[in-house]
Amino acid sequence: MKNDNPLSPHIQIYNWHISSLVSISHRITGIINFASLTLICFWVSYLVLGKDNYEFVFIFLNSFIGKFLILAIVWSFSFQILSEIRHLFWDYGIGFELKTANITGSLVIVGSFILTLLIYITGKNFLT
Amino acid sequence: MVQIRLPENSKIEKGNYYKDKTGSKNLRKVNIYRWDPSTGEKPRIDTYEVDMDNCPSKVLDILNKIKNEIDPSIAYRRSCAHGVCGSCAMNMDGKNGLACTKPHSEIKGDINIYPLPHLKVLKDLIGDLSTLYKQYESVEPWLKTSKKNNEKENLQSKKDRAKLDGLYECIMCACCSTSCPSYWWNGEKYLGPAVLLQAYRWIIDSRDEDRKARLKKVADELKLYRCHTIMNCTNACPKGLNPAKAIASIKKMLATS
Repeated sequence: MKNDNPLSPHIQIYNWHISSLVSISHRITGIINFASLTLICFWVSYLVLGKDNYEFVFIFLNSFIGKFLILAIVWSFSFQILSEIRHLFWDYGIGFELKTANITGSLVIVGSFILTLLIYITGKNFLT
Repeated sequence: MVQIRLPENSKIEKGNYYKDKTGSKNLRKVNIYRWDPSTGEKPRIDTYEVDMDNCPSKVLDILNKIKNEIDPSIAYRRSCAHGVCGSCAMNMDGKNGLACTKPHSEIKGDINIYPLPHLKVLKDLIGDLSTLYKQYESVEPWLKTSKKNNEKENLQSKKDRAKLDGLYECIMCACCSTSCPSYWWNGEKYLGPAVLLQAYRWIIDSRDEDRKARLKKVADELKLYRCHTIMNCTNACPKGLNPAKAIASIKKMLATS
């Protein structure tokens, strides 16, 4: 039987909270990581083709857009790693209390930026 | 399927405005989702000005006041008014809960009241929960035992009994299931937090002899593993239970058995 009654509103009206935000970000960063890994593979195979290509990639990565892209990818990976650690604890049955989940969720968000900064600083020191 | 936008017949229109007639200075605006199956019109949001000087403390009291004093046509479910029956589950201020236990003083600004999310609306604040009840039936929520001795109690140690704490308190109000995005997108197949918590309640019961079959039945990509630990369920539960943990416990039992 076809039911023509209206559907009550859902995502339009439901409040976001830390755990749901981290959950959806986990998915989005997962997709970004998938795409960026493919991109990184293309870059690497591109470099094999010679010196001119290397210089092109070098200039691109040193431009504002290139730097932003690198930082964005680093953040995306940082977020995924930390959130995945949270998921590992959950799989073990730990950390389901509301308070704990909110704290670990906040840690993932704040930690992802700190980890990005650390990786950035380490990378910079490594280059010079 | 993930469908973010509401279907055409479910788009919400602006409804009537009921101005205060009591002359009270302590007014609050209450926006309520309305849909009448007999008119063929789209759902609308009606706004009521409510005199808060003569209104008790819970959201259900506001609804009763509106029904008794302003607009008798409004439909909603309620029964015990003490957070035991689970009838008055609805979405208030963007979060599911029981209207009878939710103090309106916790809500800032206008009070927005909707039916439980992503259900077929029967009328106004009443959603159709028949799918959820069918799913509940599918987990066979009763004790299965081969013991034929009906003259003595089926005993359980204190430790085994304690395993049911945090599970038996569930009143099946559906606040958790209807707060879950996974259940919104896959409600036909995914059992949802309320039913899975009930499934776990029977799986973990020491007197039940059907544990293996119960686990096998629930171990399904769609029935169980659509839970992605979004935690909306635990956040919504008006009884303070933890469906997310119960689901994780089932997953863990399946992974270790």
